[in-house]
Amino acid sequence: MNGRAWTATRMGFREQLRRPLLLVLLVAVPFLFISWSIAITEPTPRLITLPGGQQLLTTMKELHGAVMVPITVGFLAGLIGLFVVRSALESDRRLVLAGFSPGEAIAPRLVVLLTATLVVLAVSLAVMAISFAPASWAPFVAGNLLAGLIYGAIGALAGATIGRLGGAYLMFFLPMMDIGVAQNPMFFDGAPQGWAAALPGYGPTRVLIDSAFSQSFDATGPLLVALAWLLVLSAAVIVLLRRSLSGR
Amino acid sequence: MIAIAISGADFLREHLRARMTLAMLVVLPALFVLVSASVLGEFAKALGGSVADDSASALGAGWAAAFLAGALGFFQVASSREADRRLALAGMGAGRVAVARISASILLGLFVSAVAFGTLWLVAGIAHPAHAFVAILIFALIYIGIGTLVGSFISEPLEGSLTVAFIFLIDAFSGPGMSGGGGIAQLMPTRKAADVLIAAGAGQSSPAGDWIAVGLTTLGALLLAAGAFWFSARPRSA
Repeated sequence: MNGRAWTATRMGFREQLRRPLLLVLLVAVPFLFISWSIAITEPTPRLITLPGGQQLLTTMKELHGAVMVPITVGFLAGLIGLFVVRSALESDRRLVLAGFSPGEAIAPRLVVLLTATLVVLAVSLAVMAISFAPASWAPFVAGNLLAGLIYGAIGALAGATIGRLGGAYLMFFLPMMDIGVAQNPMFFDGAPQGWAAALPGYGPTRVLIDSAFSQSFDATGPLLVALAWLLVLSAAVIVLLRRSLSGR
Repeated sequence: MIAIAISGADFLREHLRARMTLAMLVVLPALFVLVSASVLGEFAKALGGSVADDSASALGAGWAAAFLAGALGFFQVASSREADRRLALAGMGAGRVAVARISASILLGLFVSAVAFGTLWLVAGIAHPAHAFVAILIFALIYIGIGTLVGSFISEPLEGSLTVAFIFLIDAFSGPGMSGGGGIAQLMPTRKAADVLIAAGAGQSSPAGDWIAVGLTTLGALLLAAGAFWFSARPRSA
């Protein structure tokens, strides 16, 4: 990162730090959303199917604890991605006109988005850890990070293509419907239905469900699917933003 | 009156002019009701609720309408503050701007509610359709009030969206049929509307007291919305 991009990154962080309500909400929403969800869920038995095919008897409470993290992280990262990109489209063209390359203007925005996702992820995991401990932390964190990055990129794409209002509507619903319902082993027969594999939340959710309840890792396929989603979406975001900022 | 009608129609057109926004208003509530219809009963049981599957599906339609209407109300205020102030200064007056804005919001709420209701009817069937439609519309109108109130205090879209979502999630999770029972759950804005919707989903009528409570809450929400629009549009002294 060169001097100009570094300055833009510092300004980007300063802009976020001047918004105390945003910082409060980025902590309060995960805290309340996750802790309340776990607290009000009954510990009723639930049979689920893990990615390796083995069946496991757990409880709705434990499942809700595990699955609330990617729902929250995906939801918040999606909205942050949407509005970070809207802000970039509105003001970063001036930076490009003033001599920045599109890459130098885009990189700081993506760094801010990544950092915000990490903050939300850290808060969400800390809140979850009070009531639920996954069997294997590292892949569990990776699965949740992938969910956040994928939805952050979807939010960014929505911001660049659908617009602010349509994008906000989309990011309000998509993580809930995808991770919250379609991928959620609390529903259906304890595993996602066939059609759910086509959704972006499939890979990350299978990775984190596997690691939440099993110490062996059997979700290599879903992990590769998640990485492929992230790669394609990130490339699309960068191409679209470069094109928008360079005025082509 | 004509100025209000023209401005109201313009505000509506402004909102629906972007085809993707219109598409989202149709597709999202329909998809949400479609996807959640079969699982909300199970979800309610997991939270210790006892609501029947049909009633839980109906509740999902109310939530879809409410969540969209909350965002809609917020952006109506937050993104139009400057334009509304100019309109008011140009002679229309803050009161008439507010009436035009609230009329456009109600029509959009009606639209979103109709989509959610229509999908619910097709997917799950409704034992008491008239009551269910009114209850879903009331969810939307209450959240238009909440969204506009948030928009009158918070202008940044991310903070405003998160605040609306924060209120919605507390309301939905503590509602009847989910975890809600006594205490703070009784104070939630859609508490009585949810009672009416759950009853309609189960094919039962609701007592007059519930309808009066729902009517008063809706009236309060709309007055709140009108106040928020007026507050945003009123000319400021330099």
